[in-house]
Amino acid sequence: MMQKEISRRRFLQGSVALTVIGSSAMCKTDFIYPKEKQKSRIPESITTKTTTQKAEEIPFLCGICVNKCAGFARVEDGVVTKLNPNPYFPKSRNMLCARGNAGIQTTYDPDRLKYPLIRIGKRGDGKYKRVSWEEAYNAILHGTDKFKGLIQILEEEKDNRSTIAYCNGEGLSKEGFEVLMGEEIGTVNYVDEVSICLETTLGGYFATIGTYGEADLSNADYLIIAGANRAEAIITPDTMDLFKRSKGRGLKTIVLDPRFTNTAAKADRWYAVNPGTDLAFVLALTYVALSEELYDKAFIEKYGVGFEEYKNHIISHKYTPEWAENITSIPAKEIIKTSREFMSAQSPIYYQGRRSVFSKNDFQLRRAMAIFQGLSGNLNKKGGIIYGEPLKLPEEEINTPIYNQAQGRFDKHNIAILSQRAGSWMVFRDMVVEKKSPYPVRAMFMRKHNPIAGVPNSAKTIQFLKQMDLNVMIDILPSDSMMFADVVLPEASYLERTSPVASYGLLEPAIVQRKAAIKPLYETKTPEQIYKELAEVLSKPLFEISKKYDNELQEEIKNRGEKNVYKEDGYILSDAWEKDVEERNRERVVKAFGEDAWKILEEKGVYYPNIEKYHKQINANEYQYYPENKKKYSVDTEDIKLVFNFKHLATKGVDPMPTWKDEYIFSVPEGKFRLITGRHAQFTQSATTNNMMLRDLIDTNYLWINRRVADKKGIKFGDMLEVKSKVGKVTIKAYPTEKIAPSQVFMVHGFGGLSQDMTMAYGNGANDATLLEDIHEPVYGAAVMNETNVEIRKV
Amino acid sequence: MARYGMALDYKNCINCKACEVACKEENGVLLGADKHRIWVGVNELEGEWPNIALSSSVFMPSQCQHCDNAPCQEVCPTNATYYDENHVVRVDVDKCILCSYCVEACPYGARYEDPRTVTMDKCTFCSDTRLARGETTTACQNTCPTKVRTFGDLDDPNSEISQLLRNREHFSLKANLGTKPKLFYLM
Repeated sequence: MMQKEISRRRFLQGSVALTVIGSSAMCKTDFIYPKEKQKSRIPESITTKTTTQKAEEIPFLCGICVNKCAGFARVEDGVVTKLNPNPYFPKSRNMLCARGNAGIQTTYDPDRLKYPLIRIGKRGDGKYKRVSWEEAYNAILHGTDKFKGLIQILEEEKDNRSTIAYCNGEGLSKEGFEVLMGEEIGTVNYVDEVSICLETTLGGYFATIGTYGEADLSNADYLIIAGANRAEAIITPDTMDLFKRSKGRGLKTIVLDPRFTNTAAKADRWYAVNPGTDLAFVLALTYVALSEELYDKAFIEKYGVGFEEYKNHIISHKYTPEWAENITSIPAKEIIKTSREFMSAQSPIYYQGRRSVFSKNDFQLRRAMAIFQGLSGNLNKKGGIIYGEPLKLPEEEINTPIYNQAQGRFDKHNIAILSQRAGSWMVFRDMVVEKKSPYPVRAMFMRKHNPIAGVPNSAKTIQFLKQMDLNVMIDILPSDSMMFADVVLPEASYLERTSPVASYGLLEPAIVQRKAAIKPLYETKTPEQIYKELAEVLSKPLFEISKKYDNELQEEIKNRGEKNVYKEDGYILSDAWEKDVEERNRERVVKAFGEDAWKILEEKGVYYPNIEKYHKQINANEYQYYPENKKKYSVDTEDIKLVFNFKHLATKGVDPMPTWKDEYIFSVPEGKFRLITGRHAQFTQSATTNNMMLRDLIDTNYLWINRRVADKKGIKFGDMLEVKSKVGKVTIKAYPTEKIAPSQVFMVHGFGGLSQDMTMAYGNGANDATLLEDIHEPVYGAAVMNETNVEIRKV
Repeated sequence: MARYGMALDYKNCINCKACEVACKEENGVLLGADKHRIWVGVNELEGEWPNIALSSSVFMPSQCQHCDNAPCQEVCPTNATYYDENHVVRVDVDKCILCSYCVEACPYGARYEDPRTVTMDKCTFCSDTRLARGETTTACQNTCPTKVRTFGDLDDPNSEISQLLRNREHFSLKANLGTKPKLFYLM
């Protein structure tokens, strides 16, 4: 079976699409600044008052979370003094949130990784030596007396490239890292943020309606938003559109959330749903719509697949509102009312959500939600879920080697569907730690990713990292996971680099470019420059190893000569980054949209066809991006479908139609609490807990506990609590509140830093991943975040 | 010459604090929770889980009200607090003696101490930063995700703020005190 995979992989390889290519020598700022102003400076104070002097305004794309808002960086004398919103980008519509504004503090964080480092102490103790870039690259290759290098590892593994694994968090330079590790170096073992985030949502929606789509909240008139906290987990343009029209101003808003969030505060009705039971709620909504025949019959006639079977399934299982009331704690009459209101609304949306996987049934929940949306017929139209039309950038071909000794993916234990690109973090980690992998995984290359804080059960992640012979980290700050790296390569922050152009949006699509506002500080380098240089160092020595173990390569060399094979078969691993980012961006944009498009993009940071004609200011705050008749509300696409019965899923052991199972009922033993976790509008996971400006707003994370429960236990605000689960324990301050159920506790994700080198984040608050048990859902192996019970004790 | 004021579509506010950060970054305000020119007021919630009164949960974005009849200006013994040519309540750092009378007098809690300049500082409507550069919005207005604020000239009948105030019901905070605030909360 493994053999088959390898040969399939070989078949696919040779040339792969590359949409990310590196930068090196010159940033655009070289042309903008007079020579004497080229040098980036560190500001003298934390906040810098803007002046009335002339300043450069450089278009950038925010990188403080995954959303991607556009802005202009005000640069005065080599210092970024202010970040302002960019009014040309339809996705972020002239706004920057608190974190976006505070991005300056990431660039000027005194704790930043400033120079390449090599570990000289024990893993985790934070003892490193400052070295040159050359020394760092050589240490990756040859190791030191403290750790093994790639040459030794690959020799011992007989050129099985898959002994190297890698991970990367979301971002514009992520694809380049995938090319470096997956295609150039040649490993299949890749894990990223998707399997600890929204994998089931994407999968469920695509499988059911053929898209994840965009919710047109500017024009919808009825919204059910469940478990998605758009006031505190900001996504544009959804957050802006929603809250301008909630509270009796055109968009009736029904919020389901176990906690009373800032989104719930803006609701017309808030249902404190029992966590993990949304599926029962949706099935009962569906029961009402089907039994009362409230659905859009013409739409289902045209696009539905397996409607009658689904109808029978729902009715025969008796998914009645009364049945759901017991499971969800939402009264039956409220469920009936909501279903009727939804189906009779002009433009109802059951918001798709974009969040972590909270319970094991999440894939089926997304299927059920998408189906319920489809029953209303409100797809591919104004005020509905939009299919739209993204702008396409040309892809690029690169030449990469074939490694015959590289073995296949194995992270499929107990999961139904192996995702295409990155695997399941949790399944992969656990199989490696439990020695269930068919071959040893010995090296971990990490970039912009902190699995110790992100993947449930931190102790296991630490064990995984300790088990490696070589850990490499590319990042901006010394994260928890960096403390287990052997070689550390410091990266330029997003204000210091030009990134590959990107396309965003379906309803009002646009191309956007992040330009370097200042040059990289200290000895940091842009990711693409790091990829290129590392690839240059690795090419020849790794080729030598392949020569030793790869019979087919030996054959090729015999026939065509070593020089030719090395060059023609892609063994020069740095080929992909021959041209810098600026040049690649220009080529791609000019190829797709012409020279004028490039000029506009350079100046405004944003381009879409007819931007100069379409873009208009409406008032001091708002802009028109596309005229009403040019927005892609309805498109002619074959993607539109409504799959009620997905028969093929049954062959993978997955329910072909969303079905409630008794095993989904989660019980909280007497004296314990269900731990739920979530986001905060002032923080992006563990990446921003060292940001001075944001820490100024929220000093730490707290454990939310119901006020009456806290009273009984004698717990007051600020009391220190020990929280313990099966897999770990933390201490955290108490926040008694009526915003949470008596049987639950909540903490904001991302705190409790382990890295002593992050002085603001270290030891501050608690890391939820330490407590969360390593439970994954059965379809993709995505981590389940809300199925852990804890006990608490005042300390 | 203008008479600057601000209208706040406060129901849009999600308490994300973008305005607070934009203000600090633009105006070089010191870090520290007690050092801010702008804030979002949050009410005490009424009711017990799961019966929380949705009407009790209100976010009130606020800052100096730039009163036409400012108590802080009235009590200032050195005339450090003054109305500038655009009717913006400002502080002259050279004249302020840190007597704190203004802190006591202000009904809105808009004053804070800046130890660098030894001044009881406050919101300036970005007069010495953005407006001085010819920009027409304040940092807080410009950055707001849900577009709560509209800043402008109350004396210009054609300004957006004048139109908003003509067409939308609105109220002022602590209007009974006779301070005549120039911040208007839209209903």
